[in-house]
Amino acid sequence: MALDFDANAGPTGAGSPPDQFQSLEQVFGSPEFERMMKDEFPEDAAEWLDPVSRRRFLALSGASVALAAAAGCNPSLKPASQKKIIPYVKKPEQITPGIPLFYPTAVTLGGVALGVIVKCVEGRPIKVEGNPAHPGSLGSTDIFAQATLLDVYDPDRSKGITEKGSPSTWEKARLALTGIVSSQISKKGAGLRIVTESVADKTTLANLIGELKARLPDLKWIQYEAVGKENAIQGVREAYGKYLTPVFDFKLADTVVAIEADLLSEGVQGVRYSRDAMHRRKVRVHDAKRRNDGVSPEQLSRIYAIESSVSGIGGVADHRLPLKPSELESFVRLLAKEVGVADVPAAGPLSDRAKLYAHEIAVDLKNKDKVGVVVVGGALSVAAQNLMHAINDAIGAVAKGAVKFVEPVQAGLTGAGADATADGTGSLKVLVEELQAGKVDALLVLGGNPAFTAPADLNFAAAMQKATVSVHLGLHADETASHATWHINAAHELEAWGDARGHDGTATVQQPLVSFHGGKSSIEVVAALLDKPGSPESLVQDTWRKFHADQKVAVDFDKFWHTSVERGVIEGTAAKPAAIKAGDAKLSDATKKAAAPATKDGEIELSFRPDPTIHDGRFANNGWLQELPKPISLICWDNAALVSAATAERLKCEVSFKWTAGEHGQSEVDKIEITVDGRKVRVPVWVLPGQADDVITLFFGYGREKVGEVGKAGSGFNVYPIRSTKNLWTVGGIKPQPDSAERTQEKYILACTQGQHAMEGRRPARHGTKDQALAELDIENHGDHKHYHVKHHKDAFSFADNPPASAAEKDLMRALLPGTPKEREWLASDDHPQKFNKSKGPNALGYVNNAAHDEEEDDKKDGEKKDEHKHEHDKRLMPLTLIQDHASNKLYRRWAMAIDLGACIGCNACAVACVAENNIPVLGKKEVTKGRIMHWIRIDRYFSVPHEVGGTKKMDVKERAEAIAKATADVSIHFQPVPCQQCEKAPCELVCPVAATAHSADGLNDMAYNRCVGTRYCANNCPYKVRRFNFVQYANYDKESTLQLVNNPEVTMRTRGVMEKCTYCVQRIRTAEIEAEREHDNPNRRKVKTPTGIRPLIEEGEIKTACQTACPGNAISFGDLNYDQYIPVKKVGEKWEPTGKHLPFSEVSRWKLEPSNYGLLAELNTMPRTSYLAAIKNPNPKLLADAGKGGHG
Amino acid sequence: MPQVFPKSMNPISRIMLLSLPVIAASTGVALAAFFRSDYTTGRNEIVDQPIPFSHLHHVSELGIDCRYCHTAVETSAHAGIPPTKTCMNCHQQVWNGADLLDPLRKSYAIDQPIAWTKVHNTPHYTYFNHSIHVSKGVGCVSCHERIDQMPLVKQSKTLLMEWCLDCHRNPEKNLRPKSEVFNLGWTPKDGTVDNDGEVFATGGTQAEMGRHLKEKYHVRDDKTLTNCSICHR
Repeated sequence: MALDFDANAGPTGAGSPPDQFQSLEQVFGSPEFERMMKDEFPEDAAEWLDPVSRRRFLALSGASVALAAAAGCNPSLKPASQKKIIPYVKKPEQITPGIPLFYPTAVTLGGVALGVIVKCVEGRPIKVEGNPAHPGSLGSTDIFAQATLLDVYDPDRSKGITEKGSPSTWEKARLALTGIVSSQISKKGAGLRIVTESVADKTTLANLIGELKARLPDLKWIQYEAVGKENAIQGVREAYGKYLTPVFDFKLADTVVAIEADLLSEGVQGVRYSRDAMHRRKVRVHDAKRRNDGVSPEQLSRIYAIESSVSGIGGVADHRLPLKPSELESFVRLLAKEVGVADVPAAGPLSDRAKLYAHEIAVDLKNKDKVGVVVVGGALSVAAQNLMHAINDAIGAVAKGAVKFVEPVQAGLTGAGADATADGTGSLKVLVEELQAGKVDALLVLGGNPAFTAPADLNFAAAMQKATVSVHLGLHADETASHATWHINAAHELEAWGDARGHDGTATVQQPLVSFHGGKSSIEVVAALLDKPGSPESLVQDTWRKFHADQKVAVDFDKFWHTSVERGVIEGTAAKPAAIKAGDAKLSDATKKAAAPATKDGEIELSFRPDPTIHDGRFANNGWLQELPKPISLICWDNAALVSAATAERLKCEVSFKWTAGEHGQSEVDKIEITVDGRKVRVPVWVLPGQADDVITLFFGYGREKVGEVGKAGSGFNVYPIRSTKNLWTVGGIKPQPDSAERTQEKYILACTQGQHAMEGRRPARHGTKDQALAELDIENHGDHKHYHVKHHKDAFSFADNPPASAAEKDLMRALLPGTPKEREWLASDDHPQKFNKSKGPNALGYVNNAAHDEEEDDKKDGEKKDEHKHEHDKRLMPLTLIQDHASNKLYRRWAMAIDLGACIGCNACAVACVAENNIPVLGKKEVTKGRIMHWIRIDRYFSVPHEVGGTKKMDVKERAEAIAKATADVSIHFQPVPCQQCEKAPCELVCPVAATAHSADGLNDMAYNRCVGTRYCANNCPYKVRRFNFVQYANYDKESTLQLVNNPEVTMRTRGVMEKCTYCVQRIRTAEIEAEREHDNPNRRKVKTPTGIRPLIEEGEIKTACQTACPGNAISFGDLNYDQYIPVKKVGEKWEPTGKHLPFSEVSRWKLEPSNYGLLAELNTMPRTSYLAAIKNPNPKLLADAGKGGHG
Repeated sequence: MPQVFPKSMNPISRIMLLSLPVIAASTGVALAAFFRSDYTTGRNEIVDQPIPFSHLHHVSELGIDCRYCHTAVETSAHAGIPPTKTCMNCHQQVWNGADLLDPLRKSYAIDQPIAWTKVHNTPHYTYFNHSIHVSKGVGCVSCHERIDQMPLVKQSKTLLMEWCLDCHRNPEKNLRPKSEVFNLGWTPKDGTVDNDGEVFATGGTQAEMGRHLKEKYHVRDDKTLTNCSICHR
């Protein structure tokens, strides 16, 4: 069995390093780490913050303790006259206090829209969810869409218009704007420049700017993004001769090759791409096809990630190959050559290992029966992009529909000036030259912050002041605002009318949900330039009225408009497919002649990436994103130079590893000084396993100067000063000290959560391979489909099986799974669930007794088979327990969750969605470094290495650890989201002296915050480390603070001294229950017969947890385990008559019935209600043999 | 060394020793009583309101239904306090010059809401939902008592958790036909007609009526209704 690939050798004994590790320190087994594992809380954890930092913290979260006194143990003490009720004067018709409203709209990033539905309570938006009707979202979101909500309420937002720093009014600003246009008419606008971020074509803003351009033909419009897509845009033109937008369909892709492309989390389209790509990673043995949920084992896709640092796609990939940026360029060329593209420019030197990868990947891609797709990240050169399109064409990805091309979604990519639009950074450079030459009279910066984000060599901030008049429109009075004559406070996207387009061009109308500070949108500003009358709403309507007329839509406009706004998607707006045939892709002359990448041994290369959480710096004042651990490094509130262990050594930085774990969130690290073209930056160094050797990855976006309280707190380091127009993404030729990368004597404290909440090495994140899974399956062919059974009548794959310690309880757990063993087997068969007769016998609805019932049947049918898979439940094997038997609950709904590790991309969208839904406070860096981060769901990230590196050979602990540390190329990454496991036998419940945490009848591990006295025993006793304690008053009770308004009124604000944790979004469950129970007389609500009588049915999918909806990979399932036990009934006269047989299995039940299902730390006999599906990987056997040869050449 | 206490102190010390448990117990009882007292719970307290609104007048004397003002009681967690507009529907015509209603007219004129003082105050971590109680046949009177006979509103129950649990454990005591939920003067009797047309003939006692209605309205069992997360989230 080819299993060198992973670390499934079983639990490790004491003393030997774990197979899966979160930090190198854990591998080393340092005393600090051991101590941390034993103590849930650090020694000084209970201390009150010192007064100075406490004040600082309060400023941070905008909180005050004004109210704390009233809400004590018995707040009913003299309650009257303390609170006021403020009704409306005239109640808006659609608002009923207590009932939320949901508005579809869109949020954009980089000019691409994500359709969302925003939940509003009494007129304030409190939660963003994906819009299932939107093709870019399908109901999911990324972290930015979730967190942008907090920006609306940011107390540090710009609140008014200023002229040269002094307050002004919109009337005056409007006059100034019209003045600019009238003075430019004689010059045809030659002195006017407009800078925006990417704007989608055929939207109101694009049309208005077009109108302005018609009036002033010589004006120039520059679309600049720090996270620019110039190379990708130009690569398409090189390949096809015109600008087009590629749209990938990863649902079709059997082989995905991502070269420096984090296609799952970079850009808004990553949400849709994650959904599609992860669909092919979710292995469902039971009938995947019929339910369109995952794929059968044979259909599992294979993902290769070739990258310089570690990304989300690297985490889910079957093979990772770390290479330097220049080697990546060579790799693309080699791959192109291998798949048979003609005239490929010469590649630079590559290691044998890289050559082998290129060869084997090419073999996979050329397989005629499979669909392959290659994606090259925007950081690689135009030539590499061109080659990517040539490869995709050559391997048939275009012919098979996995790569489609549509008319450009971005504005300005057609007609004259397209080339200038395509090269945003180049255009910005021209603008700066013109500014310096005094050719620009008026500069309008509508959105974006170029004074901070522009490449350093341009010195945009200084150039800006050369314009006679400059206008800045932005949410914050930021760096650009401080250099502009006028600053106009912008309306947030959730505050203004607008329209935007998704990655495939689908348009959405954005509607205002709330309004603070009377901000203006770009549309309003451009309309003011045009002196156009009409409200922003009517301007947006005009755009779509024209579309309505042009498209000859059948229904009248009002109806069309209302449906479009209501659905959040405008029908028929997806960009038109371009006339591209297979074989059209060419290599341009420039590509053919591209110089060989300069890879020099011993030289370090820099790689610039946008920060994973605060992007280009725009989210610097967003506490939710600042405190969100960066997906791979798990650092919060800062950026750091990511390096491999070998590179850290070369930089003479500390590699003793005692600091890399971030035990209790705190790590002291060295700082290095990097010099590029005479410009210097100082950044802390972070050793990241999996990082390519001789590469320093730097995240830009940190180090803002003009920023609010939160941004100042999470200062970070500005790396823009070494990013220049010629070195936008990479810088080569960096020599380790004492030259262009030099260690300084400074130390720095980073907040990193990787060592926190570590569970002892018990193979928490399980994974196996496709071959392993198939070897354990009996496969029956039934013509067009197959049935799978785990061999020897076992329930689980060996890699997902629980250790023998919990064997007896495992039987009980199996028995507690929905249905009987017989039914479960039958689940794979042809019969529709409805046909199966479950209503036999008195215990038909029971679970535990079902086993006996089933055995009777078995006796009759195949007595001889019985012996091996049915054994008696030996009560003596059951551990003694003080806990009541909640587990065999057959009376109530049994809420449960299953998480498919194969589909988790580690993007953290679940965590930020949870923060938004459950009012989880932001603590600030200092508190995080004390190990107090409050997130209810965390994503554990594990590294593992092949056995050859550090398992089979006889090495002492230190040797092995060093080998692991150096085995950069062989590290594979595993993500595991860990919320509260809602144990059936919850260890926390037993130790609570006041019964503040107790089991509910439907199996939730309830937490009554007001009952908690803060002993923290529960957290000490929780093996999953999912309980969070309010060491100080984190929650914001300040009624004056706008931040208060983002809170979900359905969730209690926790005060100081209270333990908190996930309860499966119990507020959503209870709200849905109340709604259902209220609808007993509603004929549209299905009724079912349950053991507790006739109940209204909560339909499958009616309740979704916050993490579940946010998840782009659809890796989380939540539902009722008892769902299949209900019989639908209808009232006939006085009696309830069954209308059919049992309901089918709920999705979560089906997931739990998969043989890859396992309980986290189930050997502790906690019987977690949440379970995980082991990730099933699909490694290439030919590359497996290569694994474990140690670092690359 | 002479004795500090004379022998005559012995009975006193014995009495003191014996009375210790009594003192402890009575302290407990006193504390428990204090905890439940009107002073602590705010029961029967009349609070100042911007307008001394009389439920007695509007409900009993004029016969206005609860839901005319508390419109959301059947659909939302909050029953809803009427907007100024609702008051003005009538008071534009009647008593439109009364001094008493000055704040009302002012509110309407300057578009500033009236800030009423909360009388029934549940803690912020308790999620009471009006709609589910009303739809399961718990009448207004169960919590608000005869609010229709109160010239000024007061809280007439303790609103302590034990009081909530008392009903969540035995909902039978407080169930009435849905047709009579908003009828505060209703007492259990045979012949009451429910919304679905059922004429009750259960013997006229609350106990029997309650048992019947618990089944009819599918009220959930006490095990479910006493879960922490039913009220605390």
